[in-house]
Amino acid sequence: MSDRKRLLTPYLFVLPNVLIFLIFVVFPAIYGLVLSFTKWDVISDPVFVGLKNYISIFSSESFWDTTRKTFIYVFAVVPWTFVTSLALALLLDMKIRLRSVMRALFYIPSMLSAVVIGVSWRWILGDNFGVINYLLERAGFKSVGWLTTPSWTMFVVILVSVWARAGYYMVIFLAGLQSISSVYYEAARIDGASVWQQFWQITLPLLKPTSLVVVVLTGIEAFKVFDLIVVMTTGGPGKATTFLVQDIYRWAFERGDLGYASAMSVVLLLILGLLTAVQFGIAERGGNAYE
Amino acid sequence: MKKQAAKLLIVLLVVSALSIPALAQKKVLDFLWFSDGVEGDVLKEIIADYQKIRPDIEINVIETPFQDLRIRLQTMIAGGTPPDLSRLVNVGDFAPALLDLTPYLGLEYIDDFVPSTHRNVIIDGKLMAVPVDVTANGVIYNKDHFAQAGIEVPTNPEDVWSWDEFVENLEIVVEKSSARYGLAYDYTFHRWLTILYQAGGKLFTDDWTAMAINTPEGERAIEFFVELHDKEIIPRSIWLGGENPNTLFRAGLTAAHWSGNWMLTNYRDNATHFNWGVMYMPYGKVRSSVLGGKYVASFKDSNHPEEAVEFIKYFTSTEVNAKFNEESLFISPRLDNAQLHYDFGADMFEVFSRELAVSPPHAGSDWAHPFAGRIGDDLRDIIVEALQHKLTPKEAVEKMEQVGNRILDDYMK
Repeated sequence: MSDRKRLLTPYLFVLPNVLIFLIFVVFPAIYGLVLSFTKWDVISDPVFVGLKNYISIFSSESFWDTTRKTFIYVFAVVPWTFVTSLALALLLDMKIRLRSVMRALFYIPSMLSAVVIGVSWRWILGDNFGVINYLLERAGFKSVGWLTTPSWTMFVVILVSVWARAGYYMVIFLAGLQSISSVYYEAARIDGASVWQQFWQITLPLLKPTSLVVVVLTGIEAFKVFDLIVVMTTGGPGKATTFLVQDIYRWAFERGDLGYASAMSVVLLLILGLLTAVQFGIAERGGNAYE
Repeated sequence: MKKQAAKLLIVLLVVSALSIPALAQKKVLDFLWFSDGVEGDVLKEIIADYQKIRPDIEINVIETPFQDLRIRLQTMIAGGTPPDLSRLVNVGDFAPALLDLTPYLGLEYIDDFVPSTHRNVIIDGKLMAVPVDVTANGVIYNKDHFAQAGIEVPTNPEDVWSWDEFVENLEIVVEKSSARYGLAYDYTFHRWLTILYQAGGKLFTDDWTAMAINTPEGERAIEFFVELHDKEIIPRSIWLGGENPNTLFRAGLTAAHWSGNWMLTNYRDNATHFNWGVMYMPYGKVRSSVLGGKYVASFKDSNHPEEAVEFIKYFTSTEVNAKFNEESLFISPRLDNAQLHYDFGADMFEVFSRELAVSPPHAGSDWAHPFAGRIGDDLRDIIVEALQHKLTPKEAVEKMEQVGNRILDDYMK
């Protein structure tokens, strides 16, 4: 093989992937950025409006309200998912009976589509047809407006989101736990460390890279939540559970303002980029445990 | 062996080459369509009849759920491949992309259709679509629940219930029958407008340049709607929880359903375990329904504009339009189809027609505004805020005026 061929071969191998990435990710992203400076309803030609969309976004009360609710959702879903999936991983890392069955059971929700999850929980929590309200009424209690009272609705969408994804992150934590050498625990036990001390001093520090991945992934996933919420609550009651991505969708396809919706997407991208950078920054500052 | 294979290949090539012109002669027209009931099946029968007359035309029906219509059409238009034909609700919304039908049909073509539809299809003096059916909002009720409660609904259009009587009677029905709630009310701004018109209000100024909802009548409409929810006559789960009103009515949980004539085929086929009918709606300050409708249009970038217009002409002709509306249980917009013969629910159509006849003019023209569809969801969100008591009725209509005017200004620039 000539030197030139040897040089070109690896690039040729990655070319299909690069092309797909460019066509379906990079070019649309650039086009979206360009659109964010226009007013475009799809049917007429786009009109350049400069920074008007960005100015409208930042001066819109509705945008800040939606952003506030999105942050509430993210800051609830991320720690809950983290704690739940870590707890499940710790439990199922022990040598207990039916361990494999339980691992599979906890993982099942993450294999279901968000639409199936949303519809199922809608039937469980519905006001008039919901199983839980039916049972409550049969037991002599008043039914609860799970999907019609703003505070309850926010609570249940957070709960369902955690339920849906905890199994997936449990598997990631299990992989992390199994990569920790048993030598550390043996040494700790000889030194008389309690189970809690072992967890705080060994498990958690050594799970730091895995934890960072879980926090970043759940954070991004929570910011991008759309289908589950639309199916479960359609963003309601009112706009109580309308988060940023659904709002972008409404601007683009219900109000037909692609320019404004593109500008909102750019803002969301900046928020995600900033938060991810902060997370990596914090992780870097802490250094790697036991290096 | 090789020679034989070569001969076979040549024969195949010749046969396929000969068949290309035959295929090319047949023009395929894409027709984007949504259905509320059985009208999709009726359309297919009409297309089959048309294809017998015009064997050179094939019409390919692309069915889409109503809620996806706008997105799908937007995407097709943006991609430069609009369908040749589409069923539309709000013509003005797509006007820049539509084919001007005036050179093909003449503006006088619309003279055969009820005048209330004209403002929907004539945009800037051009005919952009043709009406196919008109709709009327109305109240469908569970006869068994009302009978259990000993309540008789008004049968004389001159002596209908007031809003207060309507509420009182629904409360009695809930108390004395197995109905859990009085009324299922569709979660759409269009349906809410019925109450606004009954209160004596209107949505836009007559010249369509601004909102006209911030009035005592608008306030009263919000107040009445909030009252219906506070008294739990309408279950909160519909407007606040997205529960399907059709399901609630079909399950016998509500005594009535505030919807429209397009639900008749659905209930004829699915609400078979109880008796139901259509009642006259109550009055606030005045009586009113809301005139809506469906239209058929073609597109500027259509590959077959002439063939598309030919089909529109056929589809909206007297006989074909009568067949479409009679079999779909719709109301025809054609003046010469005012008396259709329905196999089912003729008495119900009588009620809908009388409701339309007494409705004020803006109950037909407001929804023809090109941006009515776009502001509807925002204004509906404000009504929800009033239902949650975050806004008083006065604050709600003020906010509706402010939000609506901002959107109108934005689009009209």
